[in-house]
Amino acid sequence: MTRADYFVLAGAVLLLPYLYASYWQRGGAGEEVRIVGADGKEILASLREDREVHVEGPLGTSVIEIHDGKARFVSSPCHGQLCVHAGWLHFGGEFTACLPNHISLAVIGPELRYDTINF
Amino acid sequence: MQNDTGLRTLTFTATREDYRIAWLAALAITIHIAESMLPSPLPGIKPGLANIVTIAALHLYGWRAAVWVSLLRVVVGGILIGTFLTPTFLLSFSGALAAVAVIGLGSLLPGRGLGPVGYCLLASMAHIAAQFYVAYRLFIPHEALFGLLPVLMTAGVGFGLASGFLVQAMMAHFNNDANPDTPAA
Repeated sequence: MTRADYFVLAGAVLLLPYLYASYWQRGGAGEEVRIVGADGKEILASLREDREVHVEGPLGTSVIEIHDGKARFVSSPCHGQLCVHAGWLHFGGEFTACLPNHISLAVIGPELRYDTINF
Repeated sequence: MQNDTGLRTLTFTATREDYRIAWLAALAITIHIAESMLPSPLPGIKPGLANIVTIAALHLYGWRAAVWVSLLRVVVGGILIGTFLTPTFLLSFSGALAAVAVIGLGSLLPGRGLGPVGYCLLASMAHIAAQFYVAYRLFIPHEALFGLLPVLMTAGVGFGLASGFLVQAMMAHFNNDANPDTPAA
C-alpha cells in the first residue's frame, strides 16, 4: 500500500463514526404527550408525572399509562391490539394510535424525530 | 467503399485495445450478473466485485480503459438483467460515473499516487455517495433516508477495502508472471 492509500483509508475510517454520529442520533427525549380522543378532544399531559389516563372511544375505554418519561397503551378494547404492542413511546415525534377506538398518542419533544412517514 | 449493389459499406476495424476492453468488460459483466443474483440484507448493499475488473483495467491499461469497462458493464449488465433504464439502472449508472470520476482525479496525484486499495476504497465510497444522492433526489426525497447512509457507507468501505486487497493480490500475481525473478510488491 502506498502512502496515499493510507490517507484514503484513514479518511474512510474517520468518516464512518462521523456519519453515525450525525445521522443516527435520535431526537431528544419527549417532554409531553398529546392524546387525541374520538371526539377530537386533546389531552396534553407531562411525561414527568406518572399517571394513568382513561379515554373513552366508540368501542369502550382505552387505558394509557405515563411512567418514567414514557407513555404507552396499557389496554384497549380493539381487536388488533396494535396500539398496545407499539409499546413505550419515549422520544419526541414517536406516535401510535388505536384506530378502531379513534385514539392517538403522540410524544412531543424539543426535536421531532420525524414529521411524516410514508409507506 | 462502393460495392456492386451501389450501397456504401462502412467498415470498422477493431484495434487490439478494443478487443482488450471487450474481454475485460465481458468479465466484469459476468461478475455483475452473477452478483445480482445474490440475496442482500439491505437494498443497496452488494459486494461490487465487478469493480475489481475496473480497477485492474485502470492499473494495467489506464483510466480510459477503466471508464470503458465500467460503463459497458453497467449498460450491458442492465440490458441482460432487464433493469436497463429502471431506477436500479440509474443508481448503478450514477454510481459508476462517480466512481470513474473519482479514480480519474485520484490518478492525477503526484508521486507514487494511489495503489489498488486506495482506488477501490475511493471508488466504492464515491459509488455509494452518488447512488445515495440520486436515490434521495429522484426516488425517496425524505430525510429518514439519511438513516441508511452510515450503514451503506460502512458496507461500502468494507467491500471497497476487500476488493482493493483482491486487486492488489491480482497485480502481484501478474507482476510475478511477467518477471518471475522479482518478489511480489
